[in-house]
Amino acid sequence: MTAAVSIENLTKIYTLDLLKGRRRVVALENLTLSIGEGHVMGVLGPNGAGKSTTIKLLLNLIRPTTGSARVFGLDPSNAEARRHVGFLPENPAPYEYLTGEEFVRFAGGLSGLRGAELTARVKAVLEQVQMDRFTGVQIRRYSKGMTQRIALAQALVSNPRLLILDEPTSGLDVLGRQLIRDIIVAEKKKGTSVLLCSHIIPDVEALAEDVAILIGGKLVRSGPVSEMLSSEGSRVELVFEGVDAERLASLEPEVIQVGRRLTLRTGADDARALIEAAQQAQGRLISMQPIRHSLEDTFLDAVRSSQNKVGSTIE
Amino acid sequence: MNGVLNIALNGFREARRNRVTSVLFVFAFIMVFSTTVSIEFTVATFDRVMTDFGLGVIGLLSPALTIFLGTALIPREIERRTIFMVVAKPVSRSAFLVGRYLGNVITVVFLVVIMSALFLIQLEVAGASATFSTGIHREHLVALYGLLLEVVLLTAVCFLFASASSQYVSSLSVTCLYFIGHMAEDLYTFANRSKLDVLRYAGKAIYYVLPNFDRLDFKARATYFDPTSNSELLSITAYTLAYTALVLVFATQIFERRDFK
Ligand SMILES: Nc1ncnc2c1ncn2[C@@H]1O[C@H](COP(=O)(O)OP(=O)(O)O)[C@@H](O)[C@H]1O
Ligand SMILES: [Mg+2]
Repeated sequence: MTAAVSIENLTKIYTLDLLKGRRRVVALENLTLSIGEGHVMGVLGPNGAGKSTTIKLLLNLIRPTTGSARVFGLDPSNAEARRHVGFLPENPAPYEYLTGEEFVRFAGGLSGLRGAELTARVKAVLEQVQMDRFTGVQIRRYSKGMTQRIALAQALVSNPRLLILDEPTSGLDVLGRQLIRDIIVAEKKKGTSVLLCSHIIPDVEALAEDVAILIGGKLVRSGPVSEMLSSEGSRVELVFEGVDAERLASLEPEVIQVGRRLTLRTGADDARALIEAAQQAQGRLISMQPIRHSLEDTFLDAVRSSQNKVGSTIE
Repeated sequence: MNGVLNIALNGFREARRNRVTSVLFVFAFIMVFSTTVSIEFTVATFDRVMTDFGLGVIGLLSPALTIFLGTALIPREIERRTIFMVVAKPVSRSAFLVGRYLGNVITVVFLVVIMSALFLIQLEVAGASATFSTGIHREHLVALYGLLLEVVLLTAVCFLFASASSQYVSSLSVTCLYFIGHMAEDLYTFANRSKLDVLRYAGKAIYYVLPNFDRLDFKARATYFDPTSNSELLSITAYTLAYTALVLVFATQIFERRDFK
């Protein structure tokens, strides 16, 4: 089975002509990544990490400096590579003098839909994004959230096998975000592959099976989300009363002392020793619970360990 | 092919609703109407003055509108990133550019046809009350046809420049080319008289390589009812279509290679 997306050693260098001379911006460096059919891949990274650059390379909006990208086995410069792709760009800008319905129809027509099938699909996706009430209104009168929904509708209209979403939830209110999440989940159930680029960690954590962390144009970590969550081993949080922090210092836990209350964080393996030590010192255990590792920790670790590399390299 | 048509018709629909095009339309209408109406006719010169003014105004407005609209479209679409969602569909960039070109040609031709119709109506209506008027003459129609061909070719030249550079650069370049193209015949004769080989070759090169808008200009002939043969009309039509196709091929080649940032 061919992968929906396969990227090998992809590098993109922008050349800027500034007054002081030429500058090269390495927006993406040696990225290797693949998305199997039916998988949801989240690409997480701070602003300027190269997420949009990766997407643009997959859609032939820009050309790679070196390396290769394939969409359903085809080079992006081949228009057929995009036959089964739906794309929601970052801050989408549909033709503002068209109505939402006209724009989605136009998009469906470009994907090869015709006649009754086109009409039926347009109607279906407009309902799916809950825009069926505003179909006759020109897009220039839409709010940001409405524009985003229409742009998502045009991505879904052709029943794509691969959805490419660039910051789909940024700038939306809670309802808009939830709607888009629901739609991604529904698409995933249908077996659609999804490339979800975002800097919003909870979205990626909730929706993606695999995650790739991009920082400064480089891939710093990748793997299943479940592994990223547990990769540090499990930890617990213990709360004691009536015990001094010094008496437990030998076990080196993270300590927060508020009045008589002591909150400790430690590896699960050390918990028993800590509890014994505290009880010997006449302390009382109030609570003990596992700390759920979120993707956020992994992400922050990755950002920290790549230190000054945030933002892309400028030579 | 279906994509091209889809994009073209969509472009025309957008242009009809766009405020800029509507304002231009009203402006063109008023200009043509007022210039011809405000002329003080003397009986003997009615046809000539009417033709001179009417064709003159249309001949000035139509290339101006063409350059204004033709150089704005592609750069604006790249800058505003409306192009992203369209070229992410299974259509080639060439199809996108040709579709956009056709949509723009339909828009500008529409404007020119409306101006021409207004001119012809005035010629006929006002002519009916003038003693020595012959009304609409074949040479009027030939001149208007020439203007339409000019618009078709000029839009292609606009798209060639706009596919590679900003609106500012391309509108300046196309304006220069337009004036040079209108002096093509003069430049040719002038260069031929030169004693310097270099100048003679340069003159010829310009004559054969640059778009020869002079060949499409029948305004002066219309003023003097100087007839144009059918074979000449056929040959300028062929010239326009061939040159337009060639320019579009170059434009798509450039457009296929560029980055949309
Ligand atoms: N057209 C461009 N010219 C120069 N540099 C660019 C251009 N587009 C993006 N970059 C740079 O490339 C890097 C990656 O950008 P991008 O892919 O948009 O990041 P992200 O989408 O992850 O926020 C950034 O440092 C950005 O400044
Ligand atoms: Mg981005």
